[in-house]
Amino acid sequence: MIQAIERNAGSDKSPDAVPQVALRGISRLYDGGAIAALRNVDLQIKAGDCVAIVGASGSGKSSLVNLLCGIDYPTSGAVLWEGRPLRTRQQWARLRRLRIGIVFQEFNLIPTLTALENVELALLGRGLSTKRRHTRAAVVLDRVGLEPRMHNLVTRLSGGERQRVAIARAIVNEPKLLLADEPTGNLDSVSAANVTDLLFRLREKTGMTLILVTHDDALAARCARRVRIRDGVIVDDTSQAIVARTIGPKAAT
Amino acid sequence: MNLVGLALRNLKRRPVRTCLSILGIGLAVGSALALIALSRSIQDSTREGMDEIGDDLVVMQKGASDIFGGFIPEQTVERIAAIPGVVRASGELVTFAPSSYVNSVLTLGWPDTSYLWKKVPLREGRVPAMGERHVAVLGDTAAASLGKKVGDDLELIGETFHVVGIAAYTTIVNRGLVLVPLTDLQEASYRPRQVTVVHVNVEHGSGRTELAPVRAAIEGLGNVVASTANEVLDNDRNFAILEAVSLAVAIIAVAMSALNVLNALVMATQERTREIGIFAAIGWSNARIMMSIVIEGVLMCVIGCIVGVLLSFLAAFAFPRIPAIGNLISFKPSVALIAPVLMAAFVLCILGSLLPAWRAVRMVPAEALRRM
Repeated sequence: MIQAIERNAGSDKSPDAVPQVALRGISRLYDGGAIAALRNVDLQIKAGDCVAIVGASGSGKSSLVNLLCGIDYPTSGAVLWEGRPLRTRQQWARLRRLRIGIVFQEFNLIPTLTALENVELALLGRGLSTKRRHTRAAVVLDRVGLEPRMHNLVTRLSGGERQRVAIARAIVNEPKLLLADEPTGNLDSVSAANVTDLLFRLREKTGMTLILVTHDDALAARCARRVRIRDGVIVDDTSQAIVARTIGPKAAT
Repeated sequence: MNLVGLALRNLKRRPVRTCLSILGIGLAVGSALALIALSRSIQDSTREGMDEIGDDLVVMQKGASDIFGGFIPEQTVERIAAIPGVVRASGELVTFAPSSYVNSVLTLGWPDTSYLWKKVPLREGRVPAMGERHVAVLGDTAAASLGKKVGDDLELIGETFHVVGIAAYTTIVNRGLVLVPLTDLQEASYRPRQVTVVHVNVEHGSGRTELAPVRAAIEGLGNVVASTANEVLDNDRNFAILEAVSLAVAIIAVAMSALNVLNALVMATQERTREIGIFAAIGWSNARIMMSIVIEGVLMCVIGCIVGVLLSFLAAFAFPRIPAIGNLISFKPSVALIAPVLMAAFVLCILGSLLPAWRAVRMVPAEALRRM
C-alpha cells in the first residue's frame, strides 16, 4: 500500500530534493488580524506530487491555494518556488503564465468569449503567432474532449464542459504545477467524475504536480498525499505519516 | 483572439454605454474643431477680404487694439501719399453701423477721390459720383440680408442712404460690406476729418525688402504704424481674444471627451473586476492588463474622433447655408486644424484610460476573483 502511494506520488521523492513549492511560516490575516485564515503554516510540495488539501468549509483551504499560486499575498511568512522566495507580483505573474495552471470551482471563464478564445487568452504574451495560439488551444481542447464545441460561447456550455474549458486553459501552457480548487464543487456527479478522471489522467500523462482542494474525502483518497486543514492550521499530513512510518519516528520529528 | 479583439468584444458587450461614450467624445471633438475653425475662419475671412481690397500696407494709429480702435487725422493720408515709393494711399473709416433692419453692418467710408472706389467689382448700379452724398454701395450678401436693391433707401446710424450699386466681391467679409462716402460716415459717427486706417500701395511689389523703407518713412510721421494685412490681423486684440476663448473652450471640450472615456472605463473595470482577476490568475502581467483597458479607451477615442471630424465637416457644410453665420464667416476644417485637436483628444483619452487601468492592476487577484 505504502509502495503504491509512493509510486503514485511523483518522480522526485528523495528527502533532500528541493521542494517545487513551499510555504514557510505563512499566516494570512484579514480585517486587521481579526480573522486568521492561516496561522503559521509550513508546507512543502515536491515536483510530481499529487496532494489533496482537505478540510471543512472556511478551514483555510482556498487561502492556502491562493498563496501557493500567488494570487494572494501572505500577511507574514514566505512562499518559495524551487527554493527561491517570490516577492513581486511580476515574478508571480510570470510563474502563473509559464509554470502554474489554476482550475477554479467557479470556472472563471470570460463569458463573452468562446471556449477556444478563453483558452487562447492564457497564451497571450507567450510570443506566439495568432495561428499558433489558435492551433495550440484547439489541440488542448481536443485533449479534454471539447473540440466539437470549441467555437461555442462558454455561456452555451454545460457546467462540466465549462470546467473542461477551464482545465484546458490551465494546462495549455504545459504547467509544472496544476492547482484545482474544488473543481467539482459546481458539477453534478457524472460531470464531477468526468472532470476528476480528466485531471488525474492529465497528471499521469504529463507528470505535473497536482494540488487538489476538496472537501470530498473519496476524491482526496485518489491522491497519494492528503493535507488536512482545520481553523487555518495543518492538522494532518499523510506524507509526514508515510515518512514517519517508513524511516522511523526519529527522522519524522 | 488578441487584445484589440478582446477590447472590441468588451465594447460590444455594453452597446448603449459604448455608443453614448463615443457620441460624447465625438461631440466634444466636433465642438472643439468647430470652435477653433470658426475663430480661425473669422481671421481668414478678414485676411482674404483685405487681400481682395489689394493693400501692400495698412497704416493704423500706434497702439490701436484693432482696426476699429485707432484714429488718424485725414491730413496724414496726404503725407503718406507723398512718401517716395508710395504709389497711392487712401483713408478709410471703419465702423459697425447700426441699421434699422439688422443689428449692425460693417460699413466703410472712402473719400470721393479714393482709388478704392475704382476697384469695386460692381454687379449692378454704379459707385458714388464725385461730391455725391448719402449714397451707398452694398456687398451682395449685405444687400440680401438688408433686403435692399439699387434704388432703395437704407438707414444707417440714423441717416438715410440711397443705394446706388451692388458689389460682387468674392470674400465673405467684403460681400457683407456697406460702402459709403467718407464725409457722410465721418459726420454720422462724429469723427470729422478722421480715418481709422490708411490703405497704401507701394511701388515695386510687396516684398518685405521693398516695403521696409516705406514702412520706416510712414512710421517716421509719428503716432502711426504700418503693417501688412497679415500683421494687422496677427496683432489684432479682438482676434487674439477670440482665439484664446475658442482655444480655452476647445480644451474644455476635449477634456470632456477624456472624462467620458474615464467614466466609461471606470465603470467597465468596476463591473469587470472579476475578469481582471481572471487575467491576473492566468498570468497576465500588469502591463498587459493595463494595455487591455487602455486599448478599450483608445478604440473609443478613435471612433469618437472619427465621429467628431465627420460632425465638423457636417458643420462646415451646413454653416454657410445658415445666413446668420454664412454671411459673416466661412468655415473650413483643415488637416492643420484637425491634427492638433485629435492629438490632444488622444493624449487626454489615454490619460483617462490609465487611471482605471492602474486601479485594476492594484487589486489583489484573489480579491478580484471573489467579486461578483
